[in-house]
Amino acid sequence: MRMHKVLTIARRDYIATVRTKAFLFGLVVAPVLFGGGSIGMSLLKSKPDLKDRHVAIIDHTGVVAGALVSAAREKNQRELFDKTTRRQIAPRYVFEVIAPAANPEDQLLALSDRVRHKQLVAFLEIGKDALHPPKPADDSADGTSEKSDPDGSVSYYTNAGGIDEMRNWLNGPINEGVRMARLAQLGIDIDRNKGLTASVPIEGLSLVERDEKTGEVQAARKRNELEGFLVPFAVAMILAMIVMVGSAPMLQNVTQDKSQRIVETLLGAATPFELMTGKVLGSVGVSVTSSLLYVIAGTVAVNALGVAGLLPLTIIPWFYVYLLADVVMLCAFAAALGACCSTPQDAQNLAIVLLMPCLIPLFMLVTVLRQPNGMLATVMSLVPPFTPILMLLRQAMPDGIPAWQPWVGLVDVVAFAAATVWAASRIFRVAILMQGKPPRLAEMARWAMKG
Amino acid sequence: MDAVQISHVTRTFGTVTAVDDLSLTVPQGSIYGFIGPNGSGKTTTMRMIVKIFYPDRGEIRLFGDGRPETSTDLIGYLPEERGLYQKMTVQAVLEFYGELRSGRGVQAEVARWLERLELAGRASDKVETLSRGMSQKVQFIAAVIPEPKLLILDEPFSGLDPVSADAIRSAILDLRRHGVTVILSTHDMHLAETLCDYIFMIFRGRKVLDGTIGSIQDQYGEDTIRVTASGGFAAVEHLPGVEQIRDLGQVRELRLTRGADPQEVLRALVAQARVTSFSLMKPSLHDIFMRIAGPAAEEASHANA
Repeated sequence: MRMHKVLTIARRDYIATVRTKAFLFGLVVAPVLFGGGSIGMSLLKSKPDLKDRHVAIIDHTGVVAGALVSAAREKNQRELFDKTTRRQIAPRYVFEVIAPAANPEDQLLALSDRVRHKQLVAFLEIGKDALHPPKPADDSADGTSEKSDPDGSVSYYTNAGGIDEMRNWLNGPINEGVRMARLAQLGIDIDRNKGLTASVPIEGLSLVERDEKTGEVQAARKRNELEGFLVPFAVAMILAMIVMVGSAPMLQNVTQDKSQRIVETLLGAATPFELMTGKVLGSVGVSVTSSLLYVIAGTVAVNALGVAGLLPLTIIPWFYVYLLADVVMLCAFAAALGACCSTPQDAQNLAIVLLMPCLIPLFMLVTVLRQPNGMLATVMSLVPPFTPILMLLRQAMPDGIPAWQPWVGLVDVVAFAAATVWAASRIFRVAILMQGKPPRLAEMARWAMKG
Repeated sequence: MDAVQISHVTRTFGTVTAVDDLSLTVPQGSIYGFIGPNGSGKTTTMRMIVKIFYPDRGEIRLFGDGRPETSTDLIGYLPEERGLYQKMTVQAVLEFYGELRSGRGVQAEVARWLERLELAGRASDKVETLSRGMSQKVQFIAAVIPEPKLLILDEPFSGLDPVSADAIRSAILDLRRHGVTVILSTHDMHLAETLCDYIFMIFRGRKVLDGTIGSIQDQYGEDTIRVTASGGFAAVEHLPGVEQIRDLGQVRELRLTRGADPQEVLRALVAQARVTSFSLMKPSLHDIFMRIAGPAAEEASHANA
């Protein structure tokens, strides 16, 4: 392989890519899109729906509804207005207590209609035995549980979709009301024992460490939620984003060279392998450029926010190793796919195939964050196309992973990347001058094997 | 030393044999014209010389060297399907191709060639703003920078106006004077006859002609008569010893049957029309091409099959 040819091709492709408006646009837009729309979410969060939330309560016990009404009143007083601006920032909870009717079915139907007509957001029916619900029946023989007794529970009727904040909130006041009523029935004076049902907060702390220099045992610090979730999530997202921004243009790039008949002139001066290697190297340069910009911007941002201590600096070398391996792997794959396409339309149809090694790990992020050392997370992070994103995500988590896993993952990724480049160059060589219908997968596999 | 030595080369694509057991020697410093109908194997042969395709069988040696890596740097290649980076400037795209081949800066050569082909004023324009003819000239410059030892041009004159074609022809002759070997393919038989030292014709993947234009014509002998006579086409019909008549407009071209006497033909012709010109000649390259690959040859080939 003649390196001057590889470098000439890489330099041209690199300059041609970083000078395009699409690259500059992607550099700015990709973080916004990949950030899960967090900016949009925070904007929307600051503009909540302030319409009153009307809820009807049928209380067969006669003693719980009052506690709910009081809790709603306290919540309104506490949260309805911003303390400094006095602007309303939360919806008002308005509860109306309805006496049970002689015909329960008609009453439930009438209330359901009110919900359908948006007069209520929901209605509750507190069963007559809710204070002393009967013991749940044992599981039936076939393993299915008996349905809970409506008299011994609280039924919540609504047609609300998505995350129902009202239902989440009601859980606390209803149970608090039930506990109070039970205590009152036992003759305990609630007013004189105010702390009786108070909840105890649980505080998350890091592990205790001994300072290596002073030898003193350092007190555990309060653990930030960001540490366990946001930092690994952000690191994995940034890697996925840079890999996609760096490798996706390769498919179009090769197809364009082919459809504009540029390829044959290039092949008159360089071998297919030199041409593909130059193009891959150009894309690696583009990815390193974007990653440097993101890493610098990220470092400035975390310093400005005062959370620099949360950045696990030890994973930065791993970040770059995985980045390079992933970009090489995907770009070689993209070059092979691009060589098989005759038109930009063909390339567009294949783009999703190319992004799969990034998209599949992204779909798994939440699962891996929940159980970073679970069987699924461990196995998937050792599957080479998914290793860079998933292994890095797991490495960035505070509890870490066994030391051997990143090294095994790295060997897998490097071996797989080398195999991809080798197979892709064989497909590239055969397909690059072909026109017409894109080849079938079986044909591509045959070219990869036989050259 | 020969510039190109092709020995028993075969190349197939699936079930189609594009080039079949081809052997050819291109002497250094010559202009070798490749002719043949579309799809006959000209481009495949050229691509194999440039090492874009590899033969299934046989060997191609360039300047006596069988190693592809070193020898391709000596080749300038103008493919039939032209393409340049549209968003780059003329200067940048030529420097890129020049550097890609030579690994060094080629600014001076680019400037010289742009001047020569009257494109100096467009050096800083993007390729996408050029006319087709100008793009083709730029592509030609990309093939000759830096000066190659072997220049392969796949239909270099197609789509060019006469002025541009003349400029390219003159450049090719100049390069040959400097010792560059030129292989070019063309469908223009007159151009092949006048420009090339040697002609190679490939038909259905097999070599059917190879040699100087004189030696090729000698194979057929003086079996062609060009006639101008009153009475138009009817005047030359039903002449003895004539197997085929080709109407060229003002002139009719007659092909004699093997062993026919031209004097007999002239006598018969004078008897039935007023003859203003009568010349006996060797067949033109166009005529030879048509005899091999024209519709009549196709029909005969099918009849024999």
